[in-house]
Amino acid sequence: MSISQYIFWFLSFVAVLSALIVVFAKNPIYSVLNLIITFFAIAGHYFLLNAQFLAAVHIIVYAGAIMVLFLYVIMMLNLNKETEPHKKQYVKLVAVVAAGLLMLTIIGSLKGAEAMVPAGIVNNNIGTVELIGDKLFGEFLLPFEVSSILLLSAMVGAVYLSKKELH
Amino acid sequence: MKELILIAGLGVLALLAGLINGRKFFMPIVLIGLSTNIGFSLADWGSNEMVYGMLKLDNFALAFNIVFSAIAFLWFISAYEYFTDDNNFSDHFALVLFTLTGAFLLVSFTNMITLFLGIEILSIPLFVLVGSNKTKLKSNEAAFKYFLLGSFASAFLLFGMALIYGSTGSFDLAIISGTIAKSTSIPPMYFAGMLLMLMSIAFKVSAAPFHFWAPDAYEGAPTNITAYMATVVKTVAFAAFFRLFYSAFGSVHSEYALVLSIMCAITLIVANITAAVQANVKRMMAYSSISHAGFMLIAIFTLNAANLLLYYTLVYSISSIIVFTVIKIVKAYNSGNDSINAFKGLLKQNPILAGCLIVALLSMAGIPPLAGFMAKYFMFTTLVSNGYLWLVVIAILTSLVGVYYYFKVIIAVFQKPETENDITLSFAHKFILIICALALLVISIVPDMILGVL
Repeated sequence: MSISQYIFWFLSFVAVLSALIVVFAKNPIYSVLNLIITFFAIAGHYFLLNAQFLAAVHIIVYAGAIMVLFLYVIMMLNLNKETEPHKKQYVKLVAVVAAGLLMLTIIGSLKGAEAMVPAGIVNNNIGTVELIGDKLFGEFLLPFEVSSILLLSAMVGAVYLSKKELH
Repeated sequence: MKELILIAGLGVLALLAGLINGRKFFMPIVLIGLSTNIGFSLADWGSNEMVYGMLKLDNFALAFNIVFSAIAFLWFISAYEYFTDDNNFSDHFALVLFTLTGAFLLVSFTNMITLFLGIEILSIPLFVLVGSNKTKLKSNEAAFKYFLLGSFASAFLLFGMALIYGSTGSFDLAIISGTIAKSTSIPPMYFAGMLLMLMSIAFKVSAAPFHFWAPDAYEGAPTNITAYMATVVKTVAFAAFFRLFYSAFGSVHSEYALVLSIMCAITLIVANITAAVQANVKRMMAYSSISHAGFMLIAIFTLNAANLLLYYTLVYSISSIIVFTVIKIVKAYNSGNDSINAFKGLLKQNPILAGCLIVALLSMAGIPPLAGFMAKYFMFTTLVSNGYLWLVVIAILTSLVGVYYYFKVIIAVFQKPETENDITLSFAHKFILIICALALLVISIVPDMILGVL
């Protein structure tokens, strides 16, 4: 095995283990902290795939901004075991079956994926900041500009919901 | 391109109008803007303009652009009192106009990225609008549910898009379709991606079994916004559904036709039977909206049915505007009561209101010779010609259940009123009700006029 394969297995182990802790931890703070570890492990995977820009953005946005938000919300809500509503047993069963079927479909769909080499993905520079910038302001210029409307509408909505009703 | 700039520009202008307190003059500007949008679309007819390789203004896109702009035009007049508060009229205008920007992207996309952006621009302001009755707990609950489930559905959409990209190497619908049509063995990943996208869009159009958010969101939202969701949003979501499956997955039509036909049957059965036991009219209309989504699904999995979808969405939207406007007026008159009992004696209280409501409900129930009957009839004939006889039987039986619950309201209208006071209608409401009822009658007489455009 080459060094990058060792790194891959190590990162995968860390990602899966911390993701399991996120789900099974009793204390929500531990969940959040482990989610940060998961995000870093996934960012490591992006580095292995030569996607430096995505890795950097992933750490800044998820581990930086969103996790801080999570931590604040959890601390303010003061969640603990007593106040958490208990789901009915059959709902849990249905959820497990449905999610299991979805997982089965997705794992099954990966069959034969290693034999496929899609035509578009041959560029060695893929994932670099230059290439992303080139795509963003070339082929994907319209979506890039239109996403400003998405951000503006989200901002207007947030301001509208949080402003006081004047009477 | 000019259509996109026009609608997005109107949204930004709405925010500026809030600064200078332009409540009085902004409604005419919006109506002029929407008419201009229709005019632009008519001028572009047949041009097949490509916009930066991401949108294509073919006749399908332009026809749906005209339809949703026209419905939005009617909706703006019918919901004028939603925009009369000095403090938040500009927010309301801006949010609605932003959803229309998303709507334009959704009817004209040729790329998965623009599809995703369109769905998000349509949904995010809508979450806020559903919760715009900030002091009502039900409105908050509806917005929260819609928001959580909506973001969950978007995640499925993205996952599906990633799998499709992985198996074809492109986001462009034409290239996806071409790659799959040429390949000898279609990778399983492609089908998984298609299934995930199907789930997400079925959520957006509220088809069973992904409809659970709809009754709560429709009931909790302010009635004006419920009308908007049932008309413009539903039309546009179905246009996007059709466009995606027709252009990107058309080459594997036989693979998804069975899934969609079963989904259609479940939608029709579940929605109609649940609607029959509702006491709240708004909730009943939410289930009725789901059942009509079942009918519109027929156009997705039968071939060459774009014109049927156009006709059905137009008919359903016009009758929905009437029904929800009447519900809003009756609810306000009966101090917030929107159970079926609140409609008792509507004929005595205001004959115009009652007459328009009856026309709209009869059309929805599919009573000949109204437009709703024609719309359903065309769906049935296309089902028969495609060999789905079992589905026709289910659709007719569930339509009969539909007749039952629509008539519950109509019977209440004819009963003796509990209070003798008359309901007075404002000019705008009277105008919009009569225009919509006349439009329903006209398009029932000349369906070929609309069916012929696509």
